[in-house]
Amino acid sequence: MSLRRRFPLVLCLLPAPVLAGPPEVVTTYADIALATYGDSLSTAQALRRAVGDLVADPSPETLAAARQAWTAARVPYQQSEVFRFGNPIVDDWEGRVNAWPLDEGLIDYVAEGTPSTEDNELAQLNVIANPVLELGSETVDAATITPHIIRALHEAGGIEANVASGYHAIEFLLWGQDLNGTGPGAGSRPHTDFMAGAGCTNGNCDRRAQYLVAATDLLVSDLWEMTDNWETDGPARAAVTADPQAGLRAMLTGMGSLSYGEQAGERMKLGLMLNDPEEEHDCFSDQTHLSHYHDGLGIQNVYLGRYVRVDGSEVAGPSLSGLVAEADAGVDQALQADLAATMVALTALRDKAEAGMAYDQMLAPGNQEGAAIIQAGVDGLVKQAKSIERAVAALGLDGIAFEGSDSLDDPNAVFQ
Amino acid sequence: MAPIALTRMAALAALAALLGTPATADLAEAVDQVITPAYAGLADAAADLDDAARQDCAPAAMRAPFQQAWDAWARIDFLRLGPVEEQGRSLAIAFWPDPKSSGLRAQQALVAGDPQVIADPALFAQVSVAARGLSGLERLLYPSALTGAEDRLCALRRATAADLARMTAEIAAEWPAHAALLTTPGDANTSYLTTDEARQALFTQLVTGLASLSDGRLGRPLGTFQKPRPERAEAVASGRSLRNIRLSLEGLRDLALALHPDAPLTKAAFDRALALAQDLEDPVLAGVSTPQGRLKVEILQQAVQSAQAAVETEIGAALGVSTGFNAKDGD
Repeated sequence: MSLRRRFPLVLCLLPAPVLAGPPEVVTTYADIALATYGDSLSTAQALRRAVGDLVADPSPETLAAARQAWTAARVPYQQSEVFRFGNPIVDDWEGRVNAWPLDEGLIDYVAEGTPSTEDNELAQLNVIANPVLELGSETVDAATITPHIIRALHEAGGIEANVASGYHAIEFLLWGQDLNGTGPGAGSRPHTDFMAGAGCTNGNCDRRAQYLVAATDLLVSDLWEMTDNWETDGPARAAVTADPQAGLRAMLTGMGSLSYGEQAGERMKLGLMLNDPEEEHDCFSDQTHLSHYHDGLGIQNVYLGRYVRVDGSEVAGPSLSGLVAEADAGVDQALQADLAATMVALTALRDKAEAGMAYDQMLAPGNQEGAAIIQAGVDGLVKQAKSIERAVAALGLDGIAFEGSDSLDDPNAVFQ
Repeated sequence: MAPIALTRMAALAALAALLGTPATADLAEAVDQVITPAYAGLADAAADLDDAARQDCAPAAMRAPFQQAWDAWARIDFLRLGPVEEQGRSLAIAFWPDPKSSGLRAQQALVAGDPQVIADPALFAQVSVAARGLSGLERLLYPSALTGAEDRLCALRRATAADLARMTAEIAAEWPAHAALLTTPGDANTSYLTTDEARQALFTQLVTGLASLSDGRLGRPLGTFQKPRPERAEAVASGRSLRNIRLSLEGLRDLALALHPDAPLTKAAFDRALALAQDLEDPVLAGVSTPQGRLKVEILQQAVQSAQAAVETEIGAALGVSTGFNAKDGD
C-alpha cells in the first residue's frame, strides 16, 4: 500500500521540468489560438444575427445593436493578431478579414474629395450603386451581391486598398465615413440607409443590405476556416507544434513584429506624425483605442500562456515566460514588466478615449495631451520589442529573420 | 541550431581573446568612419540650403543646394536608430512613399491656413511629417499639384528649409551620445547590454536598408510585368530616383565594410550593384515601362538582393548576429 502510494508520487515529481518544455509551450500557444479564433467565430456569428435583424427591420435600435455586436466581435479577433507574422497559414489568410486602410468608395457612396490611394482606378467603383461593374477590360455582373462577388473584388487591380471584405468593410457599412476629421464624432450612417422602399436614404438600400449580409457571411466562413486550422489535426497547429523550436520562433516573431513594425510603427506612430485620421485603424467607428488595447493584450497572452475567453473562462498552460525564466530569469522579468507597462499605457489610452477624447482627436495637430498618450503606447511597444529580442537570444533562437539562409543551413559557412 | 550558435559565440570569444582585439573595434569604425561624418555632412548641406533660401527663395536659386542636401541624406537615410528616430525626424526629413498624398494635402492646408504656422518655427516643427523636409521642398521647387500665392509659397520654402536645417543640426549634435552607447555596451547601458546587441542593431539596419532599396525604391516602380508603375518611383519630380538608390548603396556598403572589413563576397556584391546602377542611364526609372528597360531595373534589383544575401551570410555569420525586429516587419 505504502509503496503503491509512493511510486506515483515520485512519477509526478520527476517529470515536472520536462512537462514545461518547448513541446508543451507551443501546445499552450496553439490552444490559445484555437480559443481566440473560436471566440472570434462565435462573436462574428452573433454579429451576423444582429445584421440580419438590422436589414429585416432597420431602426436606430437594430443599427445600434449591430454596431455593438461588431465592437464585441473585435475583442477576441484583435487578440488573435499576435498569431500573424510567423505562420504563413495565418498570414496568407489575414488580408481577407482585417485589411486596412481601405478606399471605401469601392463599396458605397463617399463624400466628395475623399482621399484615395494613388492610381486606384477603382477607388470610386461603388459596387452598391452599380449592378454592372467595369474592372479594366472585364465586365462583372453584380446584379446580386454575393460572397463570391465580394471575394472577387477584394484587392481588385492588385491594389491593397481595394478592401471589399472583412471587419473594416462591415465597419464602413455600419458606421459610414467619419467626416469629422480630427474633431469629435464618428461615422453617422443613418439606419434608413438600409430601409426598403420610399424611406431609403442615399439610394440602393436593398443592395447595401445585400452587401452587408454577404460580407458578414464571408467573415463567418473565413473564421470557421481559421478556427478549423487550429483544431487537433489542423495545419496551423501543426506548423507550430511539429517542430517546437520553429514554434517558439513563430511565437516570438509574431510578438515582436506586431509590437514594433506593425502596431508601434504603422498603426500608431505614423498616424501621430502625420496628424492624419486617414491613418486611423478603426476610422469609421472610432474604436481604434479598443483595437490597440486588445492587440497589446494578445501579445501578453502569448507570453504568459493564458487567455481569458469571452465567456470569462480561462485557457492556460505551460508558458513561454516559464521557458525564458529557466534560461535567464532577468530577461523574463524584464519582458514581463515591459508587457505590463505597455498594458498600463494602452489602458490609459482606452480609458481616455472611452471618456470622450476619440483616437482621431488625439491625432489632431497641437493636441499635446493626446499625442503624449499615444506616444506612451508606442514607447512601451518599442521597449518590449527589445526585450523580445533578448528572449530570442536567451532561448538560443537567433536566426529568426533569416531562416533558410546559408549560415544556418550550412554550418561550415559560419566560419568561412 | 542552439549548439551551433553557442559554438560560434565561444569560438569568436576565444578568437577575440587570442588576438587581443577590442571586441568593439568594428562598432567604433562604423561610428567614426561612416555615421558621424554622414550626419555632419547632412547638417552642413542643410545649413547651406537654409542660407540659400534666406537669400533667394526662388526655386531656381534653391534647387542646387536642395540636390546637395538630398545627396547627403540619401547616403545615410537607411539608418533608423538613435536621434533620427526621435520626434519623427527620419520621416520628416523625407516622407516616401505617400500613397494618399498626405504631404500635398497638409501643405495645401498650410498655404490656405494661418500664416503664423509658417512664420513660427516652433509651430512649423509640429506640422505633419509628410508636409516637411525634402519631400515637402520637392513639391515647392519642382512641378507639382501644389498651388498658392507666390509670397506664401516663398515663405513655406524658407520655413521648410529652416526646419530641415534645425532637425539635421539636432541629429548631428545628439548623435555622439547615441554613438557612445553603441560603442560601450554593458550592464549599465540598457540600450545595448552586450557587443552582440550593438552589432545586431547596426546589422539589422543594413539588412533592412537593402530590403527597402529592393522592395521600395526599385520594387514600387517595377510594379508587375503587366502593370509597371513608373510614376511610383521616388523623387521623380527632382530627377533623383536612381541617384538616391546609388548613394544609398554607397552608404550601406561603407557601413557593411566598416563593420566587417574582411568580407570579400559582400564587397563584390556591392561593387556589382553599384556598377549596374552607374551604368543604368535611366534617372527616374521611366524605363520600367519597356521590356528592355524593365529588364535592366530587374537586374539591378537582383544585384541588390544578392548584396543583402551576402551581408546576411557573410557578415551576419562572422559577427554571430541575426536581424532583430525592424520597421519593415508589419504588413
